[in-house]
Amino acid sequence: MPEEVPLKKDRDDRARIRKAVLTIYLATAAAFLVWLGGILLAPYLESRSSPWAGLAYFVYKPVCHQIADRSFSCFGRPLAVCARCTGIYLGFLIGLGLYPLLRGWGRPALPAGRVFFLVSAPILLDTAANFLRLWDTPNAGRLVTGILWGTILPFYVMSGLADLVLSRKKRLKSARNCP
Amino acid sequence: MIHERPGMVQPALIGGIAAGILTAVPFVNCFCCLWIIGGAIVAAYLYNKRTSVPLTPGDGAVLGILTGIAAAVTDSIVSLPFERMNQEFVQRFMTQFSEFVEEMPSGWERWLDQRTGPMSPAWFLLGLLSSAVIYAAFGALGGLIGASIVGRKKGPPPGSPADETNQNPGYRQP
Repeated sequence: MPEEVPLKKDRDDRARIRKAVLTIYLATAAAFLVWLGGILLAPYLESRSSPWAGLAYFVYKPVCHQIADRSFSCFGRPLAVCARCTGIYLGFLIGLGLYPLLRGWGRPALPAGRVFFLVSAPILLDTAANFLRLWDTPNAGRLVTGILWGTILPFYVMSGLADLVLSRKKRLKSARNCP
Repeated sequence: MIHERPGMVQPALIGGIAAGILTAVPFVNCFCCLWIIGGAIVAAYLYNKRTSVPLTPGDGAVLGILTGIAAAVTDSIVSLPFERMNQEFVQRFMTQFSEFVEEMPSGWERWLDQRTGPMSPAWFLLGLLSSAVIYAAFGALGGLIGASIVGRKKGPPPGSPADETNQNPGYRQP
């Protein structure tokens, strides 16, 4: 009978973690879909000569050079980010889809450092080679290296957010229990 | 919400200023968001070097957010002179281009005005705010990657209060 108490506590803890991770996952997916939608919204607004088109491109300017030659087109206008960044975001979407299948809803763990180096090698090599003008990768190649790298990123985001939320909850709980 | 540990500010400033400069300089900025992520990884490395407590994913994210904010401020300031250079270059290029092409795409002058008009203080502040939010997100990602690379190298002394983090598989790598 006394053994049932820790078991119940363990079950409650697991249920609490599962609920937090699921909430974080859904919030991340929703925020990311809004961000991804903006990439398509910018050329759409530009094609309609909307005054908001400038603002839509402006939002993505800090994180992308937005060179038209290196971007895919949609609605006859360049996307708000370059081909490599498009690949990273598509990869992130794929990673989000894979996340529940590979990790489930338990407490997330960070991917191993060697995995990060493995998926980062193509994008780093290709970007550096293009920068040094050793070769000029077509946009499809940039997209593929971006997708490969982007796929691992949700595993970091989930782990970090879960750690922040769960440790905050733990702090609040211990503060409440303190006399 | 953000609980920063002591000693986070200096590594975040070093990583953020370096990333902000590299993001602002034309030609070098072709690495896009990778500079911010790289800056946060550097900040995680510097922070991890000066503390005996392992870097947890949550700490990595907070460190990355601070790095991203520092990068946004640096980028906004450093890119000001380059902005003017870019405007002059684009305007000169389009004027010369229009001399050689019989029919320019409709609305190109309006597009040019939208993209190269003078930057008002309100536009600057809006840019700074949006950069800060976006760079903080990318910085958090970099901080997490940094935590996965450098965070495991040091273990806390056994039995110390920091040993509690060992109970947290979140910072462990499979």
